[in-house]
Amino acid sequence: MSRFFTTGSDSESESSLSGEELVTKPVGGNYGKQPLLLSEDEEDTKRVVRSAKDKRFEELTNLIRTIRNAMKIRDVTKCLEEFELLGKAYGKAKSIVDKEGVPRFYIRILADLEDYLNELWEDKEGKKKMNKNNAKALSTLRQKIRKYNRDFESHITSYKQNPEQSADEDAEKNEEDSEDEDEDEDGVSAATFLKKKSEAPSGESRKFLKKMDDEDEDSEDSEDDEDWDTGSTSSDSDSEEEEGKQTALASRFLKKAPTTDEDKKAAEKKREDKAKKKHDRKSKRLDEEEEDNEGGEWERVRGGVPLVKEKPKMFAKGTEITHAVVIKKLNEILQARGKKGTDRAAQIELLQLLVQIAAENNLGEGVIVKIKFNIIASLYDYNPNLATYMKPEMWGKCLDCINELMDILFANPNIFVGENILEESENLHNADQPLRVRGCILTLVERMDEEFTKIMQNTDPHSQEYVEHLKDEAQVCAIIERVQRYLEEKGTTEEVCRIYLLRILHTYYKFDYKAHQRQLTPPEGSSKSEQDQAENEGEDSAVLMERLCKYIYAKDRTDRIRTCAILCHIYHHALHSRWYQARDLMLMSHLQDNIQHADPPVQILYNRTMVQLGICAFRQGLTKDAHNALLDIQSSGRAKELLGQGLLLRSLQERNQEQEKVERRRQVPFHLHINLELLECVYLVSAMLLEIPYMAAHESDARRRMISKQFHHQLRVGERQPLLGPPESMREHVVAASKAMKMGDWKTCHSFIINEKMNGKVWDLFPEADKVRTMLVRKIQEESLRTYLFTYSSVYDSISMETLSDMFELDLPTVHSIISKMIINEELMASLDQPTQTVVMHRTEPTAQQNLALQLAEKLGSLVENNERVFDHKQGTYGGYFRDQKDGYRKNEGYMRRGGYRQQQSQTAY
Amino acid sequence: MASRKEGTGSTATSSSSTAGAAGKGKGKGGSGDSAVKQVQIDGLMEMMRSLRHVNIDHLHVGWYQSTYYGSFVTRALLDSQFSYQHAIEESVVLIYDPIKTAQGSLSLKAYRLTPKLMEVCKEKDFSPEALKKANITFEYMFEEVPIVIKNSHLINVLMWELEKKSAVADKHELLSLASSNHLGKNLQLLMDRVDEMSQDIVKYNTYMRNTSKQQQQKHQYQQRRQQENMQRQSRGEPPLPEEDLSKLFKPPQPPARMDSLLIAGQINTYCQNIKEFTAQNLGKLFMAQALQEYNN
Repeated sequence: MSRFFTTGSDSESESSLSGEELVTKPVGGNYGKQPLLLSEDEEDTKRVVRSAKDKRFEELTNLIRTIRNAMKIRDVTKCLEEFELLGKAYGKAKSIVDKEGVPRFYIRILADLEDYLNELWEDKEGKKKMNKNNAKALSTLRQKIRKYNRDFESHITSYKQNPEQSADEDAEKNEEDSEDEDEDEDGVSAATFLKKKSEAPSGESRKFLKKMDDEDEDSEDSEDDEDWDTGSTSSDSDSEEEEGKQTALASRFLKKAPTTDEDKKAAEKKREDKAKKKHDRKSKRLDEEEEDNEGGEWERVRGGVPLVKEKPKMFAKGTEITHAVVIKKLNEILQARGKKGTDRAAQIELLQLLVQIAAENNLGEGVIVKIKFNIIASLYDYNPNLATYMKPEMWGKCLDCINELMDILFANPNIFVGENILEESENLHNADQPLRVRGCILTLVERMDEEFTKIMQNTDPHSQEYVEHLKDEAQVCAIIERVQRYLEEKGTTEEVCRIYLLRILHTYYKFDYKAHQRQLTPPEGSSKSEQDQAENEGEDSAVLMERLCKYIYAKDRTDRIRTCAILCHIYHHALHSRWYQARDLMLMSHLQDNIQHADPPVQILYNRTMVQLGICAFRQGLTKDAHNALLDIQSSGRAKELLGQGLLLRSLQERNQEQEKVERRRQVPFHLHINLELLECVYLVSAMLLEIPYMAAHESDARRRMISKQFHHQLRVGERQPLLGPPESMREHVVAASKAMKMGDWKTCHSFIINEKMNGKVWDLFPEADKVRTMLVRKIQEESLRTYLFTYSSVYDSISMETLSDMFELDLPTVHSIISKMIINEELMASLDQPTQTVVMHRTEPTAQQNLALQLAEKLGSLVENNERVFDHKQGTYGGYFRDQKDGYRKNEGYMRRGGYRQQQSQTAY
Repeated sequence: MASRKEGTGSTATSSSSTAGAAGKGKGKGGSGDSAVKQVQIDGLMEMMRSLRHVNIDHLHVGWYQSTYYGSFVTRALLDSQFSYQHAIEESVVLIYDPIKTAQGSLSLKAYRLTPKLMEVCKEKDFSPEALKKANITFEYMFEEVPIVIKNSHLINVLMWELEKKSAVADKHELLSLASSNHLGKNLQLLMDRVDEMSQDIVKYNTYMRNTSKQQQQKHQYQQRRQQENMQRQSRGEPPLPEEDLSKLFKPPQPPARMDSLLIAGQINTYCQNIKEFTAQNLGKLFMAQALQEYNN
């Protein structure tokens, strides 16, 4: 036992030469002590530091171990492979190596490998026995290592001169490890064990690790020391790798500058403590290990890791907390960022602790801002997967953090924040000059917005949870607003544009009820208007949008932001029923021409805008515009997909998982959705108002085209029904209404379109439902009148306008204007008789029978033509005569066609 | 006559539209799919059994089909009537038009297939050549059998009774001028048929062209072969073996001409309908005009 102590002191003396080794302790080294050591910071600090370095070195040692194994079984091919990997790993670890110096174990393996290869090379007989691959690998490897070792020549020579030193270090390390029971321990014990029986296969060796370790402890010093020596000199023994590892652990800390003398003393003390503890533990361990040495050991290691993370220790006790120290610490923490195996939660906690420390020690706002930036970044990093979303608590933390950061930035106008500030040019504490901190608040906020969208996308929209999440929207908006204010003062125009767009994206889809209310009720009494004013403190969203968008139009240089801004602006106009502004903006932007080149999210936004525009037109009673705007979206039958409100199932097989994920990410959160049923209803009703009069006007025209395919499809579906019950769904209502309208029965049509069910499903969703309904009734009356005139004009000689006005409950001037329009457009062959207020039909149009007869004649003409062809064929060249005849037929047709094919009669009328 | 068409005894069809006919006959559109047909045949057998059960002398000599606007000349009718007539020489098909009857004039006609058509149908060969050989045109597909309706005295008494009771308006339905719809429907149906006819002709035309083209190819091939053989002969080589030309040139499938015949027949019926109808209506119009003039 005494040996531990002595070696301990031995290593201490060494540490004075080789830098500050004492301060650093192996990972989880003070497992038992940890909880007590809150104040005794030094070890843990170093521990955290090590994590980056540790990882690299572990990688190296693992590789080295395999190389040694391969060396032992003379598998040169394997050696070569591993050596190449090792070279790469070393390259990766370069930055650390630069700081810490070339690790000894690395030098050792290089030296050993070279020796080994030379030995093999000399051994002609052995070489002959080797298989081809191995022989080839041997020569390659030999050349390679020669070349490689040239860079490390000095190190290698020094190593060769003094291999003992490293051995001693190993020994010292060894004992530390064994008492500390961390993952390195098995390696150590293996090393000691193997030194005794170096021929034992390494695989087996691991099994005995624990036992050997214990034995080792009991064994005499001298024996051990000898073993060390032999181990280090005999280059091909397995133990080497373990030793290498030890060297790694040891040398890792070599270059660490001793912080203070106090530290050293503390370390010494601790060492003693540890030695004492060792006694107690050893007996305990012996019992334990006998049953299951390995398993127990592993478990303990695992237990140790989280413990360490929960109690992050920042600085050694009594260390003077300065800027430099904190920054260094911060960098150390950040180095672990993004690496595999880093506990992200712990990292966040560490950073938060660091902020506290910084705040406690009054290190100035610069440092705090910097750390805050990093905390937020780590929060975003917490989820490695793009598709998953932040946990609520993380999200809350993130919001708070940003808020705090904003507080600081607002409170200290002398802090400059920017992406363009380099790490080197940062000024965190020099109070004389303005503080400069690297970091971009805008990016953070944009990322926050993305996270918010992600959270909303991933929450069930019909749950209470969604409502809860949605409440955060206000907070998000508030943050954006603050950042906006901040950037307006300090940011570049580009940044301002970006934050404006963010603001716009959070504004455009919201209906401004207050402004709407204000519009409806012009200011009355003074008392009320005062109250109003208090309520309406905030800017009108319309004014806000105008201001933000105009700025972007003027200043933005990236096309995308401007496009988005325009679309949002149009959407906002349309939402608030400013149809003409919206339309003009849409036409002026010329977006229709090149929107197909935009990226999908912008296209979705465009679709949403178009749809909103259509709905707006409908509210204004502009059925044609509404129909045109909605046609593209509705006719495809994929409105859901086009608006980013859901994925279509049928295309599942067409796209792979990856695409689906991408599409899923594109979905618009539920609170932005446009009601699809409303959309379809608006479309169908406007199609009905257009199509039914058109159909009536072109009843017998064989060449008439459909205005709306979808509407016709619905009609056909309705016709196919064997039994027509009262309409249930919105579509059935529209179909039933269309049928009524076809007969000119506007009252029935009206009752189908506007009733309880439809109100609940569709019309009440409009902000000005009553206005829309009034408009709709009026439209139905007008179009029914037109349909009636088209359909039944042939049965009238004349019809009094008064009768018509009674029938359709329209006032006389309106009827007059509608009929006049029809006459002007030559839709109705009639004239108005002013004195009697009647419409006199001209009856120039062919009647139904005449029409049919004309069509029949036409068809017969073609029949004869076809027949002649058959005849031609039979007669060969004989057909010339008939050809002339054919022309005659054509002439006839032309003659018959002159009347036109407008038919005014439908059979159903009888 | 009645007994001849609807069964032997004096039963069943005293009046054209009474139970007997309904029981034995087929519903409108007897052309329906086989399942429907099966049901109808079952019904028929049922009726026969029932009749036998009450010890009535029965022999069914035909069937009836209700139709409108005279559109009955179809393939289905042809097939059914053929099978009837094939089994029982005397079979007829009664065509009943409920719409026309409702307008005031009983529309009931009896048809049989002509012996010529029967032969063609037996051959089951509807190729253009066969039809040509049989010298069949649409005029000679069906022959109309005159109908004499003979009611029992009791029914005659009932009819008299009803006639007395019926309102004046019912009697004058014949004189109604509002018949344009009828004409329109007829025209439309006629138009549809003409369309079909056109298509049929186009089809036939293509067939003709294809045949002649192939004929030409065949001819060329034969000539080439002959030339080659001649050369070979001059060189003293054996001639090429004869190949089966029908394998090389498969003649195109000739379109069945029966359909076009039927369509032509149908068009003919429509035309006659329209002619009849317009003649009547013209008469009515002149009458009305005369009346109006008289009144004025």
